[in-house]
Amino acid sequence: MNTLPHPENRLHALDAVRGFALLLGVAFHAALSFMPDWPPGIWAMKDNSPSPFLRDAAFVAHIFRMSLFFFIAGYFGRLLFHKLGARTFWTNRAKRILIPLVAGWAVLYPLIGYIWMTGVTKVFGGTLPPMPEMPKVLGAFPLTHLWFLYVLMLIYVAVIAIRALIVRVDGDQRLRNRIDGIVTDSIDKSYGIWLLGLPLAFALMGLPFWFFWQGIPTPDQSLIPAVPASIGFGTAFVFGWLVQRAPGALAAIEKRWQANLVLAALATGYMLYQQHLTPVASPGTTKTLFALAFGVAVWTWIFGLTGAALRFLSNFSATRRYIADASYWVYLAHLPVVAALQVWVGHWPMHWGLKYPFILVASFAVLFLSYHLLVRPTFIGQLLNGRKHRIFGRDPAPIVRATPPEDQNNPAVASLRGITKRYGAVTALNAIDLEVRRGELLAVLGPNGAGKSTAISLWLGLIEADAGEVTLLGGSPQDADRRRGLGVMMQDVEMHKELHVRELVALASSYYNDPLPVEETLRRAGVTNIADRRYGKLSGGQKRLAQFAVAICGQPRVLFLDEPSVGLDIQARTALWDSIRALLASGCSIVLTTHYLEEAEALADRVAVVAKGKVIASGSVDEMRAMVARRQIACESNLPAEEVRTWPGVVDAQRENNRLSITATDAEAVVRRLLATDPTLTRLEVRQAGLNEAFTELTREAA
Amino acid sequence: MNSLTLKTTRADTPLDSRRALGAYLAETRYELMRGLRNPAFALPMTLIPGALYLLFAVVIAGEAVDKDPTLGAFLFGGFAVMAVTMPALFGIATSLALERDMGLMRLKRAQPAPAGSWLVAKIASGFVFTLLAFLPMLAIAVLTGKLPLAPPQIVAMSAALLAGSIPFAALGLMVGTLVNGSAAPGYANLIYLPGCYLSGMFFPLPKSMFWQVPIWPQFHLNQLAMHAAGVTKYQFEPVAIAAATLAGFTVMFSAVAIWRLARKG
Repeated sequence: MNTLPHPENRLHALDAVRGFALLLGVAFHAALSFMPDWPPGIWAMKDNSPSPFLRDAAFVAHIFRMSLFFFIAGYFGRLLFHKLGARTFWTNRAKRILIPLVAGWAVLYPLIGYIWMTGVTKVFGGTLPPMPEMPKVLGAFPLTHLWFLYVLMLIYVAVIAIRALIVRVDGDQRLRNRIDGIVTDSIDKSYGIWLLGLPLAFALMGLPFWFFWQGIPTPDQSLIPAVPASIGFGTAFVFGWLVQRAPGALAAIEKRWQANLVLAALATGYMLYQQHLTPVASPGTTKTLFALAFGVAVWTWIFGLTGAALRFLSNFSATRRYIADASYWVYLAHLPVVAALQVWVGHWPMHWGLKYPFILVASFAVLFLSYHLLVRPTFIGQLLNGRKHRIFGRDPAPIVRATPPEDQNNPAVASLRGITKRYGAVTALNAIDLEVRRGELLAVLGPNGAGKSTAISLWLGLIEADAGEVTLLGGSPQDADRRRGLGVMMQDVEMHKELHVRELVALASSYYNDPLPVEETLRRAGVTNIADRRYGKLSGGQKRLAQFAVAICGQPRVLFLDEPSVGLDIQARTALWDSIRALLASGCSIVLTTHYLEEAEALADRVAVVAKGKVIASGSVDEMRAMVARRQIACESNLPAEEVRTWPGVVDAQRENNRLSITATDAEAVVRRLLATDPTLTRLEVRQAGLNEAFTELTREAA
Repeated sequence: MNSLTLKTTRADTPLDSRRALGAYLAETRYELMRGLRNPAFALPMTLIPGALYLLFAVVIAGEAVDKDPTLGAFLFGGFAVMAVTMPALFGIATSLALERDMGLMRLKRAQPAPAGSWLVAKIASGFVFTLLAFLPMLAIAVLTGKLPLAPPQIVAMSAALLAGSIPFAALGLMVGTLVNGSAAPGYANLIYLPGCYLSGMFFPLPKSMFWQVPIWPQFHLNQLAMHAAGVTKYQFEPVAIAAATLAGFTVMFSAVAIWRLARKG
C-alpha cells in the first residue's frame, strides 16, 4: 500500500463522489412529497400516496450527503488553493461559488416561491392558508437549497484564516507533519470514525428540540451560521483538507472501504429502528445514543463511499466525467423542476412506486438536457465548470502551455505538444511532442499500432486529444478554413471506384480556392497515363498514386502522407519520392509515416521514432544512426555463432550457411579477435548500421 | 504573430462563394455520374416500380380499374409511393454506409470538403433518381388511361409524392449512419418492405390490423397523395395529420443521423 499521496487519477474517483452526493440530493428532495408523517405545508406538496420506504431512504441519504460533499470540497479546496495561489483561488471561488449563489438565488427564489404557493394551495384544497412569516430575527433569510454555497464560502474564509495562523506559528512544519501522521493513522486504525463525529454529536445533543429525521438541521433560514451545521460540515471540510495533505490518507480510506460501509449500515440500522419507536428526541439516553450513532454514521458513510469510489472508480471514464461535470448545474437548478413535478403528480390516483420514479426520471431528463444544451456549451458552463464544451462531438483538449521555445524565424507549421490520446483503456499517444517546420520533412517511424495514424488524425482535426495542444498553420485544426491549407493521403481510405482519376482530382480541386490545374496535378503525381481509368480498376500502387494526386491538388502548405508508398513498385516509388522532393523545394512541409526506413533515409530532414505511443528517439537521420552506434560485421568463418555471441562488445551474432553476421558496439576489438581466432577467415566487411537496424533496436528496447 | 507570417496564400481563407457553389455542383455531378455508371444499382430502383405497376394495375387489374376509377388512383398511389421512396431510401442508405466504411467521410472532413456538400449531393442525385423512377410510371398510367384524374389533380398528386420522398431520404441517412455498407441494404429492406404491405397501400387490410398502420411512413405519404388526388374513398386521416407526421419523421430520422455523424463521423 505504498502509494503516492495524490496521484492524478484518484481525482476522478473524488469527482465521482462529489457528483454522487449532489445527484443524491436531487433524489432526496424528490422523495420529500411522499413523507408519511409530515404535516401539509412543510414541503411544496403532500402526495396522496405516502411512502414509509421513501421516508427511511431519504433519512439515510440525508445522514451523509452534505457531509460527504463538504469532505470532498475540503479536499479539492486545498488542492486548488495550492495550485492557484491565494489571490487566484479567491477569484476562482467567487466565480464558481459566489456568483452562482447570488445569481442562482435571484432566479430560483421567485420560481421556487411560485411553485410552493401553487403546491400548498393545491394541498389545502384551493385556498392558500396563511403563510408563516419569516422569523423576525437578525439575519433571517430564505437561502433555499443554495445554503450550501453560502456555508461553503464561510468555511473557506474560516479555514484559510486558520491556515494562515498555523503557517505563522508552525514555521518548521513540525506541527503539520504531526497532524498528517495522525490523520492517516486515524483512518488506518479506525479510531477516526469514532472521534470525528463527536463534536457533531455534542452539538446535536445540545439542540433543544430535535426531530430525528432532521439529522443535521438544514441551515437554510438564516445568514447567521447554525451551530450543528457549522460544526458538522466544518469538520467534514477540514478533515477533507487534511486528507489532501496527509501522505497515505487516501490509500487508507481506500483500504478500509468495506469495513466502513458495514459499520455505516449498522449505525444507520440502529437509527432507523430507534426512529420507528420515537420520532422526537427528548433529553436522555436515547437522544445521546442517537446523536453518537449519527456521528459515527456520518463518518463511516464518508469513508466507506469515498473508499469504494477510490477502489472502483479511479480510472477515467468519459461518462462519469460528464455526469460529474453536470452534477453541479443539476443540483443548483433542480429544486423548481422537482417541486413542480411533485405538485403536478401529487393528486394523481397512482401508487408512489410509479410517481416517484416518474419525478426522478423526468427531472433528470429536463436537468441533463438543459445542461447539455444551455449550460455546457455556454458561458454558464464556463462559469460553473471552468470551460465551455461543444454540444456535439468531443471537446478540444485543454491547452497546456509548456511549449518549448520557438524558433522565431521558422515557426512550426504543425505541432503536437504534450499530446495524450486514449481509446478506452488503450493509450494511443502518451505525452507526445512532434513538430514540422516550413519546407521540412518529418518522418515518423514506428511499428504497427505505435500511434502514427492517431497523430495524423489529430492534425487533420478528425479526433481530439485528451490533453495537450495541436496546432496546424498557426491555429487549431478544428477550424475547417485552416484545414484548407493541408493535403492528406490517408491509410485505409478508398476513393469512389466508379470515378476516373481525373474526376477524383477535379472533385478534390473544387474544395480549394487556389488549386493547381487538374492536368498539372496529374503530371506532378505521375498519373497522367491512368487519368481516364476508373479508380476501381487500378492496381494497389496506382490507387496510392491517385490518392497522392488528390492530396497535392490544393497546393497544400502541409502535406500528411500516411504510409504513402505501401504497394508501390520501385519505379513508382522513385517517382513519388521525386514529387515529394519537388514539393519540399517549393516550401511545402511534409509529415510522412512509414515502415520503409530507406524512405526516411532518402527524404527526411528529421526522424521521430514512435513506439507504444511515445517518441523514443528523434533527430536527424545521422543523429539517429549515431544514437545507436553499432556496426555490422560480416565475414566467412567457421566460428560458431553461439561462441562469438559471448565475446565482449558483441550484441548479436547470426550464422547463415558459412556467413557470419555480427552486430557489435566495439567493432575494432571484435575484428581483432576474429582474425586472431580464425586465421582462415575471409571476405571481412564492416559497415555502419543502417537506420533499419537502429530502428529495430530502438523499438525493441521500448517494447 | 506566427499565423500572420504563415498566411501568405489564399489557402486557408474561407472558400469564396463562387468556388463553394462550384464545389457543391461538382459533388452533385459526380454523385449522379457514379449512380449512372453503376447500373446494377440504378436500374432495379428506377425500373422495378414501373414494371410492377404495369403488371398489376394495367395488365392484371386493368378491367377492375376501368369499372372503378378510384381504384386506379389507389393503385397508382401505392406503386408511386414505392417508386419515389426506393431511390431516396436505398440510394442514400447504401452509398452513405459504404462511404463511411471506405473512410471517405473522414477524408472529406479532413480535406476539407465544404460542410454538407456530400449531403446536398446525395439528396439532389437521389431526387433525380426518384424522378427517373416516377416519370415513366406516370407516363404509363396516363397513356393507358388507368389514372382517370383531372390534370390539376395529377400535378398535385405528383408534387405530393415527390415531396414525400424527403422523409425517406432522411430515413436513408439514418440507416446509412447506423450500419455498415454490407448490412445497409438488408436493414433498409427490413424497414421498407413490411411498410409497403402493412401500410395497406397495395391492398386493403383487415380491420384488426388498422392499429399498426400509422407507424409506417408509407401510409402517411399515401394519404397525402390521396388527399392531393381528391380521392375521398381512400382518405383515412386528415391531410394535416399526414403532412405533420411526415415532417415529424423527417425531423426524427435526421436528428438521429446528425447525432450519429457528430459522434462517429
